[in-house]
Amino acid sequence: MGIYDIILKRIKEIQSKTKEDEPVTNISTSSMLAAEITLISSLIVASIMLRFINKALMMVAVLILILIAVIAMPIMPKLRKEQSDSFSNMLFYMILALGIIITLFYWGSVNV
Amino acid sequence: MVVDTQLASFFTAGALIVIGIFAALFLDNLIKKVIGLAFIGDGVNLFIITIGYKPGGIVYIFLPDMTVSWFAQNASYPLPFALVLTSIVIGASTLAVMLGLIIILHKKHGTISASKILGE
Amino acid sequence: MNPLIPLMVILPIACALLLNLLHKKDRTVKVLAIVVALVLPIIPLLASYGLHFFGGYYPLSENSAIAGGLPSYITNSALNVFHPAITYSFESAQKIMIFILGLIAFLAIFTSLNETKRPSGVYAFLMFMGTASVTAILLSDDIFNLYVFFEIAAISQVGIVIASGVKKNYETALKYMILGNIAAPMLLLGVAFLLGVTGNVNITDIIYSIKNGIVSPQNPVLLMACGLIVFGWLYGSGLPPFHTIKSALYSKALPHGAALLQAFSVFTFVGLGIIIIRIFSYLPFSKIVIIVISLLAMILGVTMALMQNDIKRIIGYLAVGELGYIGLGLGIGTAFGITAGLFQALNEAIITAFLFLGFGTVLYITKKSDTRKLGGMMIETPKLALVVLLAGFAMAGVPPLNAFQSKLMLIQASIQAEVPELGIIMILISIVTFMTFMRAFYTIYMRPKPPELQITNKNIPKATIISLLVLLAICIILGLYPKIATNYLQVLANSLV
Repeated sequence: MGIYDIILKRIKEIQSKTKEDEPVTNISTSSMLAAEITLISSLIVASIMLRFINKALMMVAVLILILIAVIAMPIMPKLRKEQSDSFSNMLFYMILALGIIITLFYWGSVNV
Repeated sequence: MVVDTQLASFFTAGALIVIGIFAALFLDNLIKKVIGLAFIGDGVNLFIITIGYKPGGIVYIFLPDMTVSWFAQNASYPLPFALVLTSIVIGASTLAVMLGLIIILHKKHGTISASKILGE
Repeated sequence: MNPLIPLMVILPIACALLLNLLHKKDRTVKVLAIVVALVLPIIPLLASYGLHFFGGYYPLSENSAIAGGLPSYITNSALNVFHPAITYSFESAQKIMIFILGLIAFLAIFTSLNETKRPSGVYAFLMFMGTASVTAILLSDDIFNLYVFFEIAAISQVGIVIASGVKKNYETALKYMILGNIAAPMLLLGVAFLLGVTGNVNITDIIYSIKNGIVSPQNPVLLMACGLIVFGWLYGSGLPPFHTIKSALYSKALPHGAALLQAFSVFTFVGLGIIIIRIFSYLPFSKIVIIVISLLAMILGVTMALMQNDIKRIIGYLAVGELGYIGLGLGIGTAFGITAGLFQALNEAIITAFLFLGFGTVLYITKKSDTRKLGGMMIETPKLALVVLLAGFAMAGVPPLNAFQSKLMLIQASIQAEVPELGIIMILISIVTFMTFMRAFYTIYMRPKPPELQITNKNIPKATIISLLVLLAICIILGLYPKIATNYLQVLANSLV
């Protein structure tokens, strides 16, 4: 089996786990792959910006991100489910963001 | 612990905001969520009014028998009341729009449970 | 005292109230709406720069009639330069931004009056109120006045969605209102903290107090205020975590309504973002937060856009993603970066409106927006297909269209500021944006038509075509001569660093 068939099988497994029963077309597979590659590469390039804080931290962060990306490979279906139109999801992320912003501004500014 | 008026008022405002956020997040009935949102607005308005508190301050109306310097020393801070008036009106209008939406959704779905209407 | 400055806000509000009263009288509504919408972009071109004090209350230093009767411990302190009235400030950056906002409002209102069966006075009322409130957000130098108009803009946006008649629009509107009524009081709480610490709601006076040591810049209450105002800003502009509800809002409105809604989001982003930079730029942490949130917006916006099946949601998520570019420009912090970010904001408002109106023609013809059920529109409307293709090229940054110039400036700014990683991410996301658009374009226009697709309305109103051509013309002009816009924006950028 070629790599494409392996990827297709993995996607079908995840979609059956999340109980979505839409047909997996070529367009949706290639879009999902493109989204996956974009997500992983942008995160890795963005974590290179940690070099301003500490170079060792940057190296550790990049290696950890590469490891997580390889292990949890089809991240996109899970990410898509998290950002669905469900109201409770939106409320959860909103309160999480409020908490993170308040904490960071109150304590982060002391050290930076 | 001696708590003066302004500190007690700040605590009340904070408690209202926290109760409001809790109600908006966790309660299932849409009307109760909207009451929680009204609590948040009331808490913030109370906070703004409390900023203008001055112990022993007089109402900020400049009567003819006052001097400017006495008035400047003794009047409590007049800006917050003007802001809160506008803020209460805004809160009332958003409340009205939300309640109107809930009535329409109730006619459509037959329930006011947030998980059924706003779920998916 | 320049009477044209408050007229930019008062005229659309007055027209909105009149249109609401005159609802059902079709001809009057149509004529009045088009005349006032045509005047809206012209007023900022005629107004001269300056400050406007509501009520005529000049600061004490310029108002010797009142200052003469006050004791010297008031007139010799900082109170002498404080602004007692609500102040609107109109400079070159506001001029071009309000002009573009007025132009998009005119095209959206013009299209909506001709695409619906009967012109609706209530719908036009909501569009004018929204335009007036976002104009006030751009002009206002008083942070509480900004909050009031921020809330009015939120209610108008909800109204535009409610009036659209799309399936499940009431649920989306209620979700947006509930989220908004948690986020907007947080913004008000931040304003209240600023009021409590500095005793002022005028932004110029707050900055004066912080710079001249009247209040300590490291006061923890000020830091909390910054955090809360940033949170309110996230809600108003549709950055994560509010990107899902914003793109849902765009998808549940009619295309011309969505074009105007995204312009509101972009200009609210710019207005509040500039204020956050003005007040809190002494905190290096604020710039870091803006960059992180913008990166999140870009990445999440584009990756979610690739996974959608509904055209309006695709463009909605792309619109949210493009806001990230503007934020990166503002977060880089150099004058060149801020100019590039503001220019990108102007271009994004125009291009996304162009895309919504363009794909809206497909919706008008077929009444379907699911890409899995569409196809073959190239044969039905070949010239419109070309125009929509140019819109997609504009969004991706293909020369000689306008987004190419602004994205190039942004990448140059990031390299000059010695953060080339941002430039790499911007290029990567642009490529993926282009791929997303080409996917949407292919599934709608280029692949064979499915047999069950029905063409209900063959004639696209001339108003829509005129709007599309006007927007295309602006894209090409700004792409060939970017200095037209950047000259106006550079003055503001230089004053912010």
